[in-house]
Amino acid sequence: MLEPIKNNWRILLLVVVVIGATVALFAPQFGPQTAPGESVSEAQQGVTNLQYGLDLAGGTRVRAPLVGYTATEVDFDGDQPDDVARAIAGELENASASDITAVPAENAVDVTEPSVTESQFRAAMDASGYAYDDIRSGVTQETRDVAQEIIQDKIDQTGLSGGTVQQVQSLTGEYFILVEVPGENRSSVTSLLEERGTVQIDIAYPTDNGTAVEEEVLTQDDFAELGSAAQSDRGTGAYVPVTVRNTAPEGQQSPAHSFQQAVADRGFDSAYNSNRDRCDYSENPDDVSKPCLLLTVDGEVVNSFGMDPELADSMASGSWATDGGFRLTTSEFSEAERIAINLRAGALPADLDISGQGTSRSISASQGENYKNYSLVTGILAVFAVAGMVFLRYREPAVALPMIVTALAEVYALLGIAALLSYPIELAVIAGFIAVVGTGVDDLVIIADEVMSEGEVNSRKVFDSRFRRAFWVIGAAAATTIIAMSPLMVLSLGDLSGFAIFTILGVLIGVLITRPAYGDILRRLLTVR
Amino acid sequence: MVAIEVPEVNYTEYSNRQLVAIPLAVLVLALAIIGGWYLVTGAPANLGLEFTGGVELRIADDGGNVEQQIETAFDRQPDSIRSIPADDVYVVTFRAADEDPEGLANDLSAQAEEAGLSTNAIDQVSPSFAADTARTAIFGVVLAFLGMSVLVFALFRTFVPSLAVVASAFSDLVVPVAVMNLLGIQMTLGTIAALLMIIGYSVDSDILLNNSVLRRTGDFYESVSRAMRTGVTMTLTSMAAMIVMAIVAALFGVDLLRNIGIILSVGLCADLMNTYLLNVSLLRWYKFEGVKQ
Repeated sequence: MLEPIKNNWRILLLVVVVIGATVALFAPQFGPQTAPGESVSEAQQGVTNLQYGLDLAGGTRVRAPLVGYTATEVDFDGDQPDDVARAIAGELENASASDITAVPAENAVDVTEPSVTESQFRAAMDASGYAYDDIRSGVTQETRDVAQEIIQDKIDQTGLSGGTVQQVQSLTGEYFILVEVPGENRSSVTSLLEERGTVQIDIAYPTDNGTAVEEEVLTQDDFAELGSAAQSDRGTGAYVPVTVRNTAPEGQQSPAHSFQQAVADRGFDSAYNSNRDRCDYSENPDDVSKPCLLLTVDGEVVNSFGMDPELADSMASGSWATDGGFRLTTSEFSEAERIAINLRAGALPADLDISGQGTSRSISASQGENYKNYSLVTGILAVFAVAGMVFLRYREPAVALPMIVTALAEVYALLGIAALLSYPIELAVIAGFIAVVGTGVDDLVIIADEVMSEGEVNSRKVFDSRFRRAFWVIGAAAATTIIAMSPLMVLSLGDLSGFAIFTILGVLIGVLITRPAYGDILRRLLTVR
Repeated sequence: MVAIEVPEVNYTEYSNRQLVAIPLAVLVLALAIIGGWYLVTGAPANLGLEFTGGVELRIADDGGNVEQQIETAFDRQPDSIRSIPADDVYVVTFRAADEDPEGLANDLSAQAEEAGLSTNAIDQVSPSFAADTARTAIFGVVLAFLGMSVLVFALFRTFVPSLAVVASAFSDLVVPVAVMNLLGIQMTLGTIAALLMIIGYSVDSDILLNNSVLRRTGDFYESVSRAMRTGVTMTLTSMAAMIVMAIVAALFGVDLLRNIGIILSVGLCADLMNTYLLNVSLLRWYKFEGVKQ
């Protein structure tokens, strides 16, 4: 019973792999992950579980660095990050504290105002008195993370499914933000990245006819400082500290004063007397019982707040504006983070320099569809060419046919892996497949020639020793291919990592599974019994 | 039906010096072409968009006189306009301008839109990014070549045969680059991938030959002809796949696949020559004279 399995395990392994690939390609369980609000059938492109990349599905990819300078190994002297930022901003004519990010965890400070030059920043760092090691171009990890989060947020908000944002590092250590948005053209993606979303604070207040809203009591430009989300000192809540600007051109009211006025006019001080008083906008937006502050992003209300009684009183008495600080409180930390992002929304913490130091690629859906068909035709014709050569050379279907089938099984297994990993198929990956057919058949030729050389194969022992000899060459050749391709896998050279990954995977599958199986098939066909 | 028979070469008729002369001459010529290119253009090859920076637009050819429209649509003169009939598109390339690379892609796509042209794809690469890519690519090729060399020396552990493999792999890399220059093919990321692939592919037949001569018993010439029968079949099959890929992809305007196809075809051709002239003669010298010393 076990004997046939033992004798043919190589072939059986190949069959198992092919079945596994079929499952990965077609079983709905291995289907692509769905984006929020997307059904499985929408996420699936075609009958298989394969995911197509930008080249074949259409879309836009932008890769660009964030502009700024970073001072490294800064000695904070125990000062708070906000104070450090303010001190350094004070030494710069063309930057405010919100253009400076001090990150104690990285011992770094960055400036993201594009007009600040390296020497200006250096001079400001020197003047501020904080010791530092050096100035490099680029921004801090913290700023990159915030930028990444904001871009992801923007993409999600527009309802584009499958848009991704990553940070990638080049050979020279420079960081790039890599944004991929399927199905969108270049101009809509760049405007999405560059546009400033309008963030404003409105006041909703009760009237006899239900809720009325006073719009734009604060707009984005009115904030002097936007802190990052923080956990509340007491209790479970979280908050975003903000400061409203208390400066204005001659003869005009400062934003802090006009906001204070608006809050006092809507009677916040009489509505909020204890910590139990809450804004009820989220329960009944059309009929609020108390005035509420509304945080609005691009015309949509994303959050509503009541007001701390003390704060409301200080606004009513008119003493608040000089300081201008308040906290936008939330119940969850993640919500506070989202609000902090929304307040900055549009405003990435640093500019993405697409045309100066970046690269972008955009392909229309129809062009992608064309590429998909063309590369399929190219691949099939390449396989026919290989098959034709093999038949012409051996003129024996028993040798040539299994050769072609084995090489195709290799590609099929690779497609299964791509589906399993949800690795997007790009033109470069298809080139990798064709390369795999090429190397695969090469090795099968080596096996066939070796096994059939020197007369008839009249015993299993003869076959095995010849097969082992052939395998030394195949193993050595596979090792060189893997070594030659591995730099591409890790270097950031566009799509070519896909080419390298699939060539290497193909070689591995070939050496470990398909080529030994071909040896077994050949043995069964050739061994003289 | 025509059968492909790998011809038997009677190596005994030629001296080592005669055999080596051809591949060496080709190698020297290729190096001279690349060197000349460097002196004249400042780069060893025709660098493509990815290595120089610039913008490439694929503009749909929906009938009418699109080509004339393209000529007048942009306020900068395109550096090249290529028609791809099978895909109904024109590929229009603009080199990065030294004076002002800012906003070029936006401007160009806006200008195309104004002129009523529909853009199927835009590729934009900034010059500084391109320079970075070029450095990374060179680093990658060098690293791959060194890795391969170390591995070959580790596999055979004899100096001359290992050197023969490495030398012929070097020539396999240099010859396609020179041919690319002559054919006017640009160096792109796809061609870099192809060059790395050559390192992997071409070494196969060299390893097969060395293995057959060094590790197997039997007469030198018998070993060579046995390795050759297999090796030439291998190389021809791969070449057939690559030539077909190059032709089909060129018709459809899929540049990445076309470039990989062309480079690999040329590289494999060079490999046939290098393996069975250069490598064989070095091995024969090693076998008959080198060992005795």
